[in-house]
Amino acid sequence: MERIVHGMSPSEALANLRQADGYYVTNTARDLSQSDYKNRILLHTDLLAAPAREEAGFFSLEITGGASIHVDMLRKQVDPFLKLELLREKMPNTMFQTLCRGINLFGYRPYPQNVIRMVVSEYAKYVDVWRVFDFLNHVPNMVAVFEEVQKAGKILEPAVCFSTGPEHTDDFYVKKVGEILDVTGQEIVLCIKNHGGLGTPKRIGDLVNAIMQKYPDLVVHYHGHNTDGNDVGRITAAVQAGAKIVDASDHAFSGFYGPPSILSAVNTLNEYGYQAIGLKEEAVVETSEVLRNQRQYYDYFESQFKGFDPTVQTHKLPGGAAGSSFEQATKGGFLDKMPTILHDELPKVQKELGNYWSVTPGSQILWTTAVANIQAGDRYANASWDLKNLLLGKYGPFPFYQPADWIYEKIFGSDWRQILEKEGGMDQIEDMDIEQERRDLAEKLGYQPTEQQLVNYLQHPNDAVAFFKFEEKFGKVYVLPPSVLFRRGGFKLGETIQFRDHYGKEHVVEIGPKQHDETGTAHVYLNVDHHERRYEFEPEVTESSGGAAKTVQLSKQEIEELARSGDYRAPFGANVCEVSVRVGDEVKAGDQLLILEAMKMQTPIKSEVDGKVESLAVKVGDAVKPGGELVTVK
Amino acid sequence: MKKKILVANRGEIALRLIRAIQELGHAAVAVYETPDNEALHIRTADEAVWLGDGPRCDYLDIDKVIRAAKKTGACAIHPGYGFLAENPDFAKACEDHGIIFIGPPSKVIQALGDKVTARKIMQDAGIPLVPGTTSLAPGDAGVAEAVEFCRNHGYPVMLKATAGGGGRGIRRIDDEKQLKAEIPVARDEAQAAFGNDAVFLEKLVINPKHIEVQVIADQEGTTVHLGSRDCSIQRRNQKLIEIAPSLIPDQALVDRICDTAVQAAKAAGYFNAGTVEFLVDKDYNFYFMEINTRVQVEHTVTEMVTGIDIVRTQIKLALGKKLAFGQDDVKVRGYAIEVRVNAEDPQNNFMPEGGKTVAVYRSPGGYGVRLDGFAYQGYTIPEVYDSLLVKLTVHGFSWNETVDRLRRCLNNFVIVGPKTTIPFYLRVIDDPDFKGGDFNTSFLDTHDYLLEYEDFTSEGNKLAHLIAEIHYRQQNPYAV
Repeated sequence: MERIVHGMSPSEALANLRQADGYYVTNTARDLSQSDYKNRILLHTDLLAAPAREEAGFFSLEITGGASIHVDMLRKQVDPFLKLELLREKMPNTMFQTLCRGINLFGYRPYPQNVIRMVVSEYAKYVDVWRVFDFLNHVPNMVAVFEEVQKAGKILEPAVCFSTGPEHTDDFYVKKVGEILDVTGQEIVLCIKNHGGLGTPKRIGDLVNAIMQKYPDLVVHYHGHNTDGNDVGRITAAVQAGAKIVDASDHAFSGFYGPPSILSAVNTLNEYGYQAIGLKEEAVVETSEVLRNQRQYYDYFESQFKGFDPTVQTHKLPGGAAGSSFEQATKGGFLDKMPTILHDELPKVQKELGNYWSVTPGSQILWTTAVANIQAGDRYANASWDLKNLLLGKYGPFPFYQPADWIYEKIFGSDWRQILEKEGGMDQIEDMDIEQERRDLAEKLGYQPTEQQLVNYLQHPNDAVAFFKFEEKFGKVYVLPPSVLFRRGGFKLGETIQFRDHYGKEHVVEIGPKQHDETGTAHVYLNVDHHERRYEFEPEVTESSGGAAKTVQLSKQEIEELARSGDYRAPFGANVCEVSVRVGDEVKAGDQLLILEAMKMQTPIKSEVDGKVESLAVKVGDAVKPGGELVTVK
Repeated sequence: MKKKILVANRGEIALRLIRAIQELGHAAVAVYETPDNEALHIRTADEAVWLGDGPRCDYLDIDKVIRAAKKTGACAIHPGYGFLAENPDFAKACEDHGIIFIGPPSKVIQALGDKVTARKIMQDAGIPLVPGTTSLAPGDAGVAEAVEFCRNHGYPVMLKATAGGGGRGIRRIDDEKQLKAEIPVARDEAQAAFGNDAVFLEKLVINPKHIEVQVIADQEGTTVHLGSRDCSIQRRNQKLIEIAPSLIPDQALVDRICDTAVQAAKAAGYFNAGTVEFLVDKDYNFYFMEINTRVQVEHTVTEMVTGIDIVRTQIKLALGKKLAFGQDDVKVRGYAIEVRVNAEDPQNNFMPEGGKTVAVYRSPGGYGVRLDGFAYQGYTIPEVYDSLLVKLTVHGFSWNETVDRLRRCLNNFVIVGPKTTIPFYLRVIDDPDFKGGDFNTSFLDTHDYLLEYEDFTSEGNKLAHLIAEIHYRQQNPYAV
């Protein structure tokens, strides 16, 4: 049987898939990184693994998309396009796959049509397989991406998000597949996106079977997570029922929340008489031999809580959010409340909010609502902006039922019906003036940006600019291994670090002494390529010495009280993503002052009084701690 | 017989002089002001005399220096450059106290230091001069004289202080209105700076090459030249890079300039080492500018291409020896380039970096490399003196070889602490006009983009910066 390779046309690839006597495997490196390593697996590691992964003969390597484009720039300081170029050099045959959130692209809220089309056409130059989903399974939200992918001649893989519950019947999903095919035509791969790893093997087998009964020529790609430890079972059932591609990951890096190990699934299916087409098991083993040595450097980013979690069937957290939820609970100091949140509140909120699919950005809404409900002790008292938008139908219609009236009333007040009437439904998002954005970016950078830079800027304006400036200052840091980039506690005196830079020059850096002068400025001496260099670091501003985001221990009541007096404090730890006023502006009660962002969720801070903006303690991009000063209105 | 010779200077030139004195088997006496407590010349000299707290007043104090010589029994004083080097009163004081002044007689310094007198001497000797006036008459009469001159010769002209030098006290005048306005200002300034308010005019030679000739004469009047130097690369009339010999392709012209220099020195009754400076315009006309009656900063390039130790020769001549070589013995071999490595930030208007400590100092070496410096690891640069740290001079058989050697040395020169002119020189020497020898005194003005370099630009240094940050913060602050 033939291996499917980069450069095949979608029809050629689909013909191969339809005729396949067996199944293909997608290596979900990106999703594994997201689910079990907080998205921190570095390009350096993927490049080390590239030759063996190329040899392994996968249908595709899922290596970009989801939150990774954002995290590539924000936390790994690697150009998401350059990443694909470099991997392509080492992997000429393997198709690259992405995960695209439809109208939300690679971000967290809807983008205008012209931005969607530009972003997709630019990334389609590098990405062969496009998995596209919408957290409400609202097909119109995906159409623009569908069209651009097909226009670019790439393989389109629309996804139906899968979940469980009385409404989630085979009938519903088969109809959903029909809705998609009506838009896309037959030349697609259909993904069953089981991001939570929900349902039993039987449930998945039945679902695939139902879809195949109705659409016998459809190529089904099963994607699952191993949170409950049983995804190999679901994969097996999916293939038995006719799925032609399944998702799995390298065993050396497998954890608890990502897809399961490739060879475990392959060995199981072998026994049942199903062959993994084109797959070279030795190369899969070899990949893990390479990766095994790297895992130690990612220790810090692995989940605080290790072990399979069969209770996912109740709380339904997607694998990609499981690790970060525990991290948030640890940092937020509510770890003790996790059992209540996961086993009681979150399932309850899910049902109350329409039992839709817990995946970005919908999963964040469910999660933050459940946390807020428990933290406040008063359910739905602190509705986030995104929850309000969900209730108003800004993301799309509820798939099964609308949440109960009392929730609307609690959140919007007694005139909630009028508000829903007036503001409800999806907004027509105006096209962006892309040329204006290009000029803005050029001004921020001081040079003419490339199309790729513009594309990333349109989605993540602040973080993209910060990344471009970072690269000017520190160079292309992907060449540094995780043992350097993720080193904690500093290096040893005399330790040498060797690396080859992006342009091919070898360097050696030897760690020298560290001194502080009388002003507190630190001097770090390094021997760089046999030249002494000194790097200066200003002392870090401690909280007692002031600084933009002062932190005070304030209770929630105190923060609310201060707000009523015009002194606005951060109600939670967040980043400032927009400042809507300037000092001296006249504002009225209800006017938006600024927007905070935490956990991919935006929360506007609105004035509770009429008055004049007296002071602003923060600017866009600042991180504030709970109780930190934001703005005062007098 | 072993003699004591006092070095009335500081910094790199003091060390240069001490070396020559010690090589001749004599003892060197250093002098210093308090800010130079840690300076290397004190440690290298055989004896040292503290002059006072300074700064910059005790090195200029003729009495104190003479007393130091008397106290230590020094029979001769070498003034170096700057400070008292071209002060005829100092030379005179030495003569009066029976101390040998290593340089020309005070009368010669006096005559050549007065630019108008110098012009007169040269004019009488038939040396080509830039059209100019004598010192302008005082008051309005002088202004009228100036206006008349400019009407005859045209603008722009240079308004110069008669007693000025080293690029100071010079202003460019573009029209009559400006001329009338500037003369009183220039007079006031000259009075304040040089204690003499006389000024004169010279026709401005636009964008000339600055070519100078090293001459040397013994007491019997035997005068030879040691070839030419090109010092066109200057910043506001301060030389930065000096080259020997001149890159002018017409060798006959260069020979003519050198012969004219000898003629000029003879006309001035010159003794000991001196430098005759010329301007060469775009049509290769050359004009006498002035004679510097001292050892020059850039004497090293001439030493490198001729093999003649100028300072050693100066001392021997001053002690009564005759020139040991004639003009025919002087052969120029290859090229030499000197760059002045200054503790300055070229990107901040060449602001001096005084007060900073040299944390790391590692100099290049190898074939054809010469260093004349005084900085060392741990040395704190005094804020009160000039910013020259070290002169890097390289020698090569061809121009390209010399530039390649200079690039290698600049790349391998490690000075951590103060910012230096090294990264700027690296940009300059890779400029096609520099490499092609196609430059004149306007080079820096027309190539100001050479200042737009980034410090620590290499990819390795950028990545090392992040490593430093990860090391300092104990984790990668950009990853969490």
